[in-house]
Amino acid sequence: MRSLQSHPVRFTLLLALVWASVLVLSHQVMASGSSGHAAEAHSHSDYTGGPPELEKAKGEACIRPTDWMRRNHMDFLKHRRGQTVREGLRIRSESLLKCSECHQSHEKFCDQCHNYVGVAPNCFECHIYPK
Amino acid sequence: MTMDRRTVLGFGGAAVAGVALAPGMTLIAAPSPDKTEASGDQRWAMLIDVNKCETNCTACTKACRQENNVPLFGDANRDIHWIRKLEIRDKEHKRPSVSLPVLCNHCENPPCAHVCPTEATFIRKDGIVLVDKHRCIGCRYCILACPYKARSLVYKKTSFPEGGNPNVPIRAKGVVEKCNFCVHLVDEGKEPACVQACNGEEGNKAMVFGDLNDPKSEISTIIREVKTQTIRADLGLKPHVHYKGL
Ligand code: SF4
Ligand code: SF4
Repeated sequence: MRSLQSHPVRFTLLLALVWASVLVLSHQVMASGSSGHAAEAHSHSDYTGGPPELEKAKGEACIRPTDWMRRNHMDFLKHRRGQTVREGLRIRSESLLKCSECHQSHEKFCDQCHNYVGVAPNCFECHIYPK
Repeated sequence: MTMDRRTVLGFGGAAVAGVALAPGMTLIAAPSPDKTEASGDQRWAMLIDVNKCETNCTACTKACRQENNVPLFGDANRDIHWIRKLEIRDKEHKRPSVSLPVLCNHCENPPCAHVCPTEATFIRKDGIVLVDKHRCIGCRYCILACPYKARSLVYKKTSFPEGGNPNVPIRAKGVVEKCNFCVHLVDEGKEPACVQACNGEEGNKAMVFGDLNDPKSEISTIIREVKTQTIRADLGLKPHVHYKGL
């Protein structure tokens, strides 16, 4: 670092070089995308296919708006978990039992996205998903 | 397991003397339909009448294992018992030996909770001492701190037992577990599984569960009016499993 700071001109040159290469690379990616080679970008071995297909929920509507749930269900569940265990606060209309009335299988619902994005919440290693 | 009577009681066990005993009352108020919450208005406790408890009765221990999916590993050093039967004998042979169930005492001053570095072990507002298995790191300080040997580590990976209770999760390898007074049942306004079993067909009606803060509850009435003791009261942990006739 010291040599770079002591040679501001050299540092600026280096930056310019990095920028140039980024520009060239992004052009190449865009070109290949438009000519129908987008699938190659997904050939990584961890990739499990997608988009995930979720089983259709049974009920009329979720207890929260769907887009809110997509972003916040993990915090929501964790918050409720803490309340349930530590304060004995059990809200039946917002319990996992309630979730399972509409989303009847965690394999066909929760796990679909979790596998797709590569996260592994381990709820069901101990808890039995209500049937 | 056999133990000496004076060892179990400790010296100078606190005793409450009294007179007659009023007939039993209802135990727990019905919860509200959608929402229940632990409250400091209650103080759950258990009373075991040692004279009624039969040596070879296992109704409570069986019911506990079934209700809470408590695992056995087939290794006496690792097997988990939330409640176990102790055989207590008097060294001077002045009293017949007695059989008593021992479980977590849900101490008012729980050393297990005081030593827990992650606050996984805590005391709920209504006095039930719990392990939050989501937080437990398996350090086992609490096992060393508990003088009643109420705690066990889950030494092996377990799977859901055949015919187990789906309402109670199993525990992951490496966390500590113990009696929780069947907190899921208490929150539904029911009694712990052992108490239900003891008062059922197989049992000998030796156990009472209830709220010590309610002066009219059956347990409060008995504790007020009959001599009861706790195990090792000398330690000052204020156990909430009381014994009658020890
Ligand atoms: S009996 Fe042991 S585990 Fe139970 S509250 Fe007391 S110290 Fe903790
Ligand atoms: S083993 Fe778990 S509950 Fe016990 S002291 Fe350690 S973190 Fe706390």
